[in-house]
Amino acid sequence: MVYSGMGPDYRVLVDKARKVSHTGYKRVYNEYPPTRILVQDVARVMQEATQSGGVRPYGVSLLIAGWDDGIEPEAEGKDQEEHDEEKKKISGKTGGILKGGPSLYQVDPSGSYFPWKATAIGKSATSAKTFLEKRYTEGLELEDAIHIALLTLKETIEGEMNGDTVEIGIVGPPEDRLLGFEGVEGAQGPRFRKLSPQEVEDYLTNL
Amino acid sequence: MIPPPDGGACVAMVGKDCVAIACDLRLGMQALTVSNNFPKIFSYGDVHLGLTGLATDVSTVSDLFRYKVNMYRLREERNISPQTMANLVSSSLYERRFGPYFVSPVIAGINQTSGKPFICGFDSIGCIDFAKDFIVSGTASDQLFGTCEGLWEPDLVSCACSGDMG
Amino acid sequence: MGGFDFSNHNRNAALHAQGVPLPKATSTGTTIVGCLFDGGVVIAADTRATSGPIVADKNCEKLHYIAPQIWCAGAGTAADTEFTTAIISSNLELHALSTGRKPRVVTCMTLLKQHLFRHQGHIGAYLVVAGVDPTGAHLFTVHAHGSTDKLPYVTMGSGSLAAMSVFETQWKGKLTKDEAVKLCADAIQAGIFNDLGSGSNVDVAVITAEKTTLMRNYITPNVRERKARNYRFPKGTTAVLNEKIIKKEEISKYVTVHELEDDSVTATAETMDTS
Repeated sequence: MVYSGMGPDYRVLVDKARKVSHTGYKRVYNEYPPTRILVQDVARVMQEATQSGGVRPYGVSLLIAGWDDGIEPEAEGKDQEEHDEEKKKISGKTGGILKGGPSLYQVDPSGSYFPWKATAIGKSATSAKTFLEKRYTEGLELEDAIHIALLTLKETIEGEMNGDTVEIGIVGPPEDRLLGFEGVEGAQGPRFRKLSPQEVEDYLTNL
Repeated sequence: MIPPPDGGACVAMVGKDCVAIACDLRLGMQALTVSNNFPKIFSYGDVHLGLTGLATDVSTVSDLFRYKVNMYRLREERNISPQTMANLVSSSLYERRFGPYFVSPVIAGINQTSGKPFICGFDSIGCIDFAKDFIVSGTASDQLFGTCEGLWEPDLVSCACSGDMG
Repeated sequence: MGGFDFSNHNRNAALHAQGVPLPKATSTGTTIVGCLFDGGVVIAADTRATSGPIVADKNCEKLHYIAPQIWCAGAGTAADTEFTTAIISSNLELHALSTGRKPRVVTCMTLLKQHLFRHQGHIGAYLVVAGVDPTGAHLFTVHAHGSTDKLPYVTMGSGSLAAMSVFETQWKGKLTKDEAVKLCADAIQAGIFNDLGSGSNVDVAVITAEKTTLMRNYITPNVRERKARNYRFPKGTTAVLNEKIIKKEEISKYVTVHELEDDSVTATAETMDTS
């Protein structure tokens, strides 16, 4: 989850998002909420602030990225091809009810939210989105996605870019080494990781 | 005072790429049979829930989970998986740790994502028993345990289960 | 969770007064142990769950995850150990996330004892808490009423006496990792063989500063033999009275199916899989 806007509001929202994903989901189903459900919960918190007395709306826009278990789009495509060539595209659009894989959402202070393939928020969002529109293609590799993201950032923001001023978070393949324990059946490492300043620096020099 | 109706027997089993769940249909108060058509298995999409115990709680709990599963479906736009259902049942029962429903649920289903069969059982306060072979519950559970321990083996092709009330 | 619903309590008390037996809760008769060693801590447990005189689960898990490097072995009422550890794990994760620090074992132990004391022993969880944090390796026991102990080796559950006899005869200071694992496994086996409430297999978790290694079914001294004879019923033993198979293709007989045109629909509703 990243933000554009007022830092203190963002911290409150992060705390609320974490708390609601435990109390409203993990403590009931013993699993973490799917991305869309978490996005809806955060959006509800933000919407309620627009309508409640004595509070002001949250002064932030958010980007929320997540990964859901289930049938990933590519795997589903293959599966469908074997069975039915014609119907492939129909379910390919929504991914069906068991859709898994990565997703990206934008949440606004009003409480409205949108799914995106690539987007930007903040002061220069419009130019950044125009830039992304030209660069984005389906089936990007991770390295290319980071490259494009950094290029977009470079084009649209003023100020120096280095390992201390840029953060990169990745929702990608599970990293079992980050789990901290081993031997638990079915346990998967976290899919989210933040690159170290050194790693970011390396990407920036290759830009 | 007449004792309230309860009892029943339920068993779930894993076979080769399949699960089976069965129950008796009797509703009785001790030796007196009240009804011969009181099903104790309830289906929620891909998941089947068997409930034995106090008859009033069997009805209440089955309705409660129908509500919860329907709400889940509307919210998430997907069917609940057997594993998720198991945790939902568990946390719902544990919420009433100090005033439980008198039921011992059994879950059987096939996970539509992994294609794997899944069964599990619970005590009345929500402790899950993840078994690889079979789950029994109800007043005849001791007898069912004996039958299942004796006859169950891996990869049964079609599962045949029968429960006899004493 | 944590907040309980008591609305059935009066009804149940009335039912009980009329002779309806109270339901039996699954309990983990259990042998659980823990032992510190040079550079970490080991905990171990048997895998039997009982419901009165019946073995309800032959291979249950009594080693509970709290945090990557804090684990808990539980005895007593099975549901209570399961949920008490789950809620403390959840609170610790949120705490770790908001402080940006690794959770400490004392924090975990304090949360557990406060939770259990608050419920005055009605939550029947008897726990061995073990873990490694930035302040070192720690081992505690927590009783259902909220009392705690800090010792170099501990046992709990119905098999605690059998297990403690092993520790009291074989424990020494400055154990290596392998020695500690062996000692814990031996203590659990003493419980498995000498205590009726314990049985089946040995689970072990080794926690060091680097990582936790869970060894599920580390020792399996009670493997079931294959059946000597074939007891399968021949096919058709149970008469099939009637049969109905609904295939995916025939589903339109039961519900209305709208075929979606390819590419012409921009926003599509999710299709429900009814197979």
